[in-house]
Amino acid sequence: MNQRQVPPLRTCCTVSVPHQVMTALAAASLLGSAGCAGPGGVAGSNSPDKTAASSSDPVTASAPDSGVTVKKYADGEYTQVGGYVSPGGNEEIGITLTVKDDVVTAVSTEPMPSNPTAKLYQERFSGGIQDQIVGVRLDDLAVEKVAGSSLTSGGFAQAAEKIKSEARK
Amino acid sequence: MEYSFAFSAIGTDWTVETAAALVPAVRTEILELVADYDAVYSRFRPDSGVARLAAAGGRLDLPDHGAALGRLYSTLYELSDGAVSPLVGDVLADQGYDAAYSLTPKSPTAPARPWDRDSLRWEGNVLTAPRPITVDVGAAGKGQLVDLVASVLDRFGVQYYLVDASGDMRHRGRRPLTVALEHPYDPTRAIGLVPLSEGALCASASNRRAWADGLHHVVDARTGCCVQTVVATWVLAPDAMTADALATALFLMEPEHLASTFDFGYVQVFSDGHARFSTALDGALFPP
Repeated sequence: MNQRQVPPLRTCCTVSVPHQVMTALAAASLLGSAGCAGPGGVAGSNSPDKTAASSSDPVTASAPDSGVTVKKYADGEYTQVGGYVSPGGNEEIGITLTVKDDVVTAVSTEPMPSNPTAKLYQERFSGGIQDQIVGVRLDDLAVEKVAGSSLTSGGFAQAAEKIKSEARK
Repeated sequence: MEYSFAFSAIGTDWTVETAAALVPAVRTEILELVADYDAVYSRFRPDSGVARLAAAGGRLDLPDHGAALGRLYSTLYELSDGAVSPLVGDVLADQGYDAAYSLTPKSPTAPARPWDRDSLRWEGNVLTAPRPITVDVGAAGKGQLVDLVASVLDRFGVQYYLVDASGDMRHRGRRPLTVALEHPYDPTRAIGLVPLSEGALCASASNRRAWADGLHHVVDARTGCCVQTVVATWVLAPDAMTADALATALFLMEPEHLASTFDFGYVQVFSDGHARFSTALDGALFPP
């Protein structure tokens, strides 16, 4: 798992519509790979209406073990801040993806709870709390069944495609 | 298990896996059962029982198992202060999740009608509605049908089986089944593993059948608003009807309010990526 801190290469525009939260996470999924979610700051601004400019050119140097295949996506950290309306009011969430050799090597989210309900959910209670879920590729697991709900929304897939094309070199 | 019997029912794909091939009589009975269930409860066909109630109100005689479904809804309605309700049907339809699948919200969100004697009486297996009303059993119906399919297998002496309705499942096996918990945002990944020996595991996620911006199928009956803070839940319970209903309820209420009434284990994943779980599922999630 790549724990190296990649300098922020590009900060995606910050937005305040619900599907953008999903989009950023979907990018993590569709770019593929085991996310090693660790603590990590959100590189972008938290201000919903502010658009951060692209910074430097993408780093193109290949990792030593990356072979000769052409990379589809620029390495780097991608950050989005999304807002959504919960029953308790507006909430924001920051999501940072680290892309390395066409693989998402890290996903981190930063909650920005602005209402009491969201804070309440963060309180501990009997049982347990894990700060961050960690995804492992199903291909790498020996399982007999999967319980969940595969994404079926066409709109969701389209949004994810947009993020992929943004990261595409 | 070596043998698999696949079919489509109530809008989703089902498989029944068994160690030995099912005889035709079992398969026939299962298909009749799911067709009957659909004919009563489907909101998506004009000739169903609940569609008649939505059009004209009146009396609807449910099959015998309708009584257990009503009791479960009634308990959850009370425990959740009205958040879990069979009357979210009109809210879902208004938001575009209607029989025509218009997926276009028709009106601003409004609370569901309170469930009382003036809106819907659910006495035993008889529904009575003074006025037209949309009844939606989506929170527990699929789970109940999983249990009913399992009971057909029990009755025919099928010893080991897995009934899987696209992720809501009931298992009876020689050894535990390893089930992956699908990542709420990435169907190629799992966030944990659960050994399912005997009993049910049901999942609910807000991204399932997502439509329009921010609108999805888990609706708080008190506000008419969709629930966005919890993004996925899993519940382990002895039967699938309970597991299915609690998986929905955990979008709308705190687990501790269910703990004194139901025997269950759970995982909740929130929109900020953190997870809560009961001791029964301690160790199921992959550690960071």
